[in-house]
Amino acid sequence: MNILKISLANLKEKKLNSFLSALLLTLGIGMISLLFLLNKQLDEQFRRNIRGIDMVVGAKGSPLQLILSSIYQIDAPTGNVPLAEVNTLKRNPFVKTVIPLSMGDNYMGYRIVGTTSKYPEHFQAKVLSGKLFEESMDVTVGSKVARILGLKLGDTFASSHGLDTEGEKHGDKKYKVVGIFDATGSVVDQLILTSLSSVWDIHEHAETAAEPDADSLHSELEHEEEKQVTSALIQFRNPMGLITLPRQINENTSMQAALPSIEINRLFSLLGIGIETLQALAMIIISIAGVSVFISLYNSLKERKYEMALMLSIGATRTKLFFMLLLEGLMLAIIGYVAGITISRLGLLLFSKAAEQDFHYSVKEFSLLPEEIYLFIAALAIGLLAAALPSLGIYKLNISRTLAEE
Amino acid sequence: MISSKNLQFSYSGQKHFTFPDINCSSNETLLILGQSGKGKTTLLHLLALLLRPQSGEIYLAGDHVTNFNSSQITNARAKNIGIIFQRAHFVSSVSVMDNILLSNYFAGQKQDREKAIFLAEELGFAEHLSKKTNQLSQGEQQRVSIARALMNSPKVILADEPTSSLDDNNCRKVIDLLKKQSALIGASLVVVTHDQRLKDEFANQVFL
Repeated sequence: MNILKISLANLKEKKLNSFLSALLLTLGIGMISLLFLLNKQLDEQFRRNIRGIDMVVGAKGSPLQLILSSIYQIDAPTGNVPLAEVNTLKRNPFVKTVIPLSMGDNYMGYRIVGTTSKYPEHFQAKVLSGKLFEESMDVTVGSKVARILGLKLGDTFASSHGLDTEGEKHGDKKYKVVGIFDATGSVVDQLILTSLSSVWDIHEHAETAAEPDADSLHSELEHEEEKQVTSALIQFRNPMGLITLPRQINENTSMQAALPSIEINRLFSLLGIGIETLQALAMIIISIAGVSVFISLYNSLKERKYEMALMLSIGATRTKLFFMLLLEGLMLAIIGYVAGITISRLGLLLFSKAAEQDFHYSVKEFSLLPEEIYLFIAALAIGLLAAALPSLGIYKLNISRTLAEE
Repeated sequence: MISSKNLQFSYSGQKHFTFPDINCSSNETLLILGQSGKGKTTLLHLLALLLRPQSGEIYLAGDHVTNFNSSQITNARAKNIGIIFQRAHFVSSVSVMDNILLSNYFAGQKQDREKAIFLAEELGFAEHLSKKTNQLSQGEQQRVSIARALMNSPKVILADEPTSSLDDNNCRKVIDLLKKQSALIGASLVVVTHDQRLKDEFANQVFL
């Protein structure tokens, strides 16, 4: 028998009151924790894929859309630009690398991206088995695509036009899997990479149903004039490029230049408003939880006045009983915290499933964040404060009168 | 043993009580009889050190307790006094067993389960030990509170109207048990009541 046992028994005795207080705390803490988790992981995902890409060029339109489609592969492309114009950038002294991208098809919802070997190089994607695509219609698939679609070396498949599975099938020409990438944690995992010429071939074929034999790298150069790509990722040699090039491109070419760091910061500041609103809401819920703890302890102290006087009469000190009541608030706070953290993980799991389905991105960090340790301290403080206020009444309790009143 | 001299008490200057001197040695019993409003409960609370007298002295187990400070009083009460109230009250969220053990816990003594079981058997509620207290009848509840008062083997047992809410049968039973158990540990038993049924049960009587 000790005060901890009595506190626990009291919580169990008032099941509904305890449940309400703990539930409110759980909701508030769960929400805040989920926001922390999402914010951190989205941020990480976005920054990881941005690394080393200084600028993206593509058709004119929304710069954010260009970034989202070209770097993260989650939005529709803005349109096409002539390959010749992209290639002139290669000759610019500020430019270190130009990685052209050509999109427009998918297989089972996974995007097929036509590019050069520089693209996997940039994301440090290593070929786990087989080899990198060389010939037209050869593909090397990302680790997640291979795992989920069960693609193996030598498999062939027909792509669909567009960026979702409902698109029209390019049935006459089939892609062949020649390699599978190791997992990188970047966007490459969810892509099917092929050469630029494959994308051209398949569309020429679909549009004109002519020129059957145009699938070598040589022809790519010969036909450069008419060839188009969706966008290109640019790396600068030095920061000077950042100052001069975007303006030059925007003013003098048919293309637009977008800077990923600026666009992503803009995206996050937009998201930030939503996150702040939700955080404020969570704070309000937590405050209500505090009030709920306060009210339920206040009421229960009123009901248990006689119990308290009785315990005082058999030798309990007021301080001991004060701590006993504090313990009730603390335990509610701990229960609420543990349940809240658990719920936020469940929420993240659900979010991850949904994001996986829609964008092929997944969030998988379930460990405790440093912010959540502060959250724990805050939860304890709220429990303590809400319990301490009504519990101070124990110091004013008149033992003799309380016992005589019954 | 417990004794008092010239005890006086008043509630906010309006109700004034002057109490006759009390003396109850170890192994003795004392009945304090009086109608309502005569200050029975006040006297019992004074003897139980729950109230401080305005003037007068109380001696408990040889100590002049009126001079004690509040933590000494809490200690002395926990160790040397067992109180049985008019209506048995308990910590309702824990079991009968735990309620009995609370005496040991708050007095800072070892929690003696065997003794609790022994007392429960003696007082006839051993089968209810794991129940909640509000599942017991009033007679049973009063017997549980006797067990709680006996747990620390106090020098003095004070009972405030222990039988007033009980029928004749339970009244007899409770008073017999009280007398028997306090005799067993050699305690002084002081009963405050207006219950005329107890008149013939006690040799020493004081009228308020």
